[in-house]
Amino acid sequence: VSLLVRLRAVLALALLVAVFSSLTPAFLTQGNLVMLAKHVALNAILALGMTFVVLSGGIDLSVGSIAGLAGMVAGWLIHDGLVLRPLGVVVYFSAPSVIVIGLLVGIAVGAVNGLLVVRARVAPFIATLGTLYVARGAAMLVSSGATFPNLVGRADLGNTGFPLLGTGTLLKLPAPIWIMAALGVVSAFVASRTPFGRRVYAVGDNERAAALVGIRVARVKLAVYVMSGFCAALTGLVIASQLQAAHPATGQTFELSAIAAVVLGGTSLSGGRGSVGGTLVGAFVIGVLNDGLVLLGVSEFWQIVIKGIVIVAAVVVDQLASRPGTGTAPGRQR
Amino acid sequence: MRRKVLRSGAAVLLAVLGGMAGCRSAPPAKRLVAIITPPHDNPFFKAEAEAADAAARALGYETLVLSHDDDASRQDQLVDSALAKGAAAIVLDNAGADASVAAVRKAKEAGVPSFLIDREMNATGVATAQIVSNNYQGATLGAQEFVRLLGERGRYVELVGKESDTNAAIRSKGYGDVLRKYPDIVSVARVSANWSQTEAFQKMETILQGNRKIDGVLAGNDTMAVGASAALLAAGLPKVVVVGFDGSPDALAAIRRGEIRATVLQPAAQIARTAVEQADLFLRTGSTGRPEKQSVDCLLVTPENADRFGIFELVRK
Repeated sequence: VSLLVRLRAVLALALLVAVFSSLTPAFLTQGNLVMLAKHVALNAILALGMTFVVLSGGIDLSVGSIAGLAGMVAGWLIHDGLVLRPLGVVVYFSAPSVIVIGLLVGIAVGAVNGLLVVRARVAPFIATLGTLYVARGAAMLVSSGATFPNLVGRADLGNTGFPLLGTGTLLKLPAPIWIMAALGVVSAFVASRTPFGRRVYAVGDNERAAALVGIRVARVKLAVYVMSGFCAALTGLVIASQLQAAHPATGQTFELSAIAAVVLGGTSLSGGRGSVGGTLVGAFVIGVLNDGLVLLGVSEFWQIVIKGIVIVAAVVVDQLASRPGTGTAPGRQR
Repeated sequence: MRRKVLRSGAAVLLAVLGGMAGCRSAPPAKRLVAIITPPHDNPFFKAEAEAADAAARALGYETLVLSHDDDASRQDQLVDSALAKGAAAIVLDNAGADASVAAVRKAKEAGVPSFLIDREMNATGVATAQIVSNNYQGATLGAQEFVRLLGERGRYVELVGKESDTNAAIRSKGYGDVLRKYPDIVSVARVSANWSQTEAFQKMETILQGNRKIDGVLAGNDTMAVGASAALLAAGLPKVVVVGFDGSPDALAAIRRGEIRATVLQPAAQIARTAVEQADLFLRTGSTGRPEKQSVDCLLVTPENADRFGIFELVRK
């Protein structure tokens, strides 16, 4: 039974793929699957960062806003440049440095989340809810609510190339798929093969016990929020690059899809239990649902209902399978 | 355990990826028109999607009706899906004047023409047609009726739409250009209620706290007009003249009840049908015979003529 539960996301994915490919011939085509993976990548990158936060027993509600903010900062730097009024100059950054600055923004907001949780002892839900608002407001402030258009850059300013991050291809696969794959491999390795990964599980399992065996809990927690901020910023940059425009509302409610992917992948919201691979499968379940229902022409309202049912059903299976008493014991299945 | 999940997950993905190699997408029997709009919980978008859907089916097309939730990234993905499903044309009410250009260009590069309705895009030569209602003309129409209802004098509040939306600015400019000519019509407050009914209700309540001597409210859309009207009724001020914009079924009902005095109807259903007809013409002949940018005039709705209007269209002349 336990194995079945562990595999439920994979089973759900296989079932959905079977259903959709039998209902529409357009589903199981190379072009559609590449496109599907490209769409999944956005949520998967967010969810990978979220996985570490959830494994450590926390939650990060600010990822969608961080994505929006990072995209806006990138849009601003490419479109307007950094105006240094006292010096009377405008500094334009090359596309790679814009991307690095965007990622640093995500890391900074993630660090604020981490410090709020660790130093100020604010519950993660509240701390990241606060940064959700602050980062979203900041994204609006960057442009007073307007969109930065046409982020292709200008050759004479030396800042072309930003669109490659989201629209470039390597071996016929779009860049976001490679980013997701690379991040997935690194995350899986970190989670299961490094001392840091073991510490994240330990902190999520039982914080006090982890502290007693000498794990610096605060450092671990700070790190997971920074990682989540990094992943969120990366998602925002990929979106801005794909659209070649940065819109301040980008990423609204993305945190919910990311949490859904993590939970579908079998990671327990109480921490200490779960896996990176599961999260990727969970992200694919949501992506297959999203795109498959669109291909079938299911009405948008039914799409929302069906997504909700699949998420809840997957978790209900988990609850039924874990026996009362021992079911909630953290770390039981590791 | 964790490793098992990883390994099995990889196995399924590999199986899926392997399975797809042999397949190719079958060409659809009928030509497909994708209709992409903001979410249908707003009757305006529902009306335009349904009108486009019906028109396309009547012309013998299959349809794919989708909603992008006003999220440009989601819109980008839906355009991908429409192209993957072999759409011959896209009718699109877009998710942002700048953020939509890349998606529409992608469709164009794939040989699929886009016909934009309701909202313009900040690029020309990418979409085949951009058919929108004339917001400026509509705003002047609404403002003139507002002036007439006030008897050319009085104190008024303007509720503006979302500041980032170009239509909010255009409508406000249309209102201002008319009202400026009447020195006895004085502005008490001009606030944004972000197109929202709840916000309009709350902002109106707040304004009334400070000032009950108000003769009129000019709202940038009907949702805000309905919200403001509710606040005015709750405050015991039923005589205040409220004028909206859009011609939503809610506002039409409120006009019939006498709570709102006038609105300006955008013929969204007609615009959607026109877009489908031009798409059909373009697919058959390679040209719409019309310029890319087209604007359709709005219509004034008053208690006298409210019964002649249906859902975003003039039903009886």
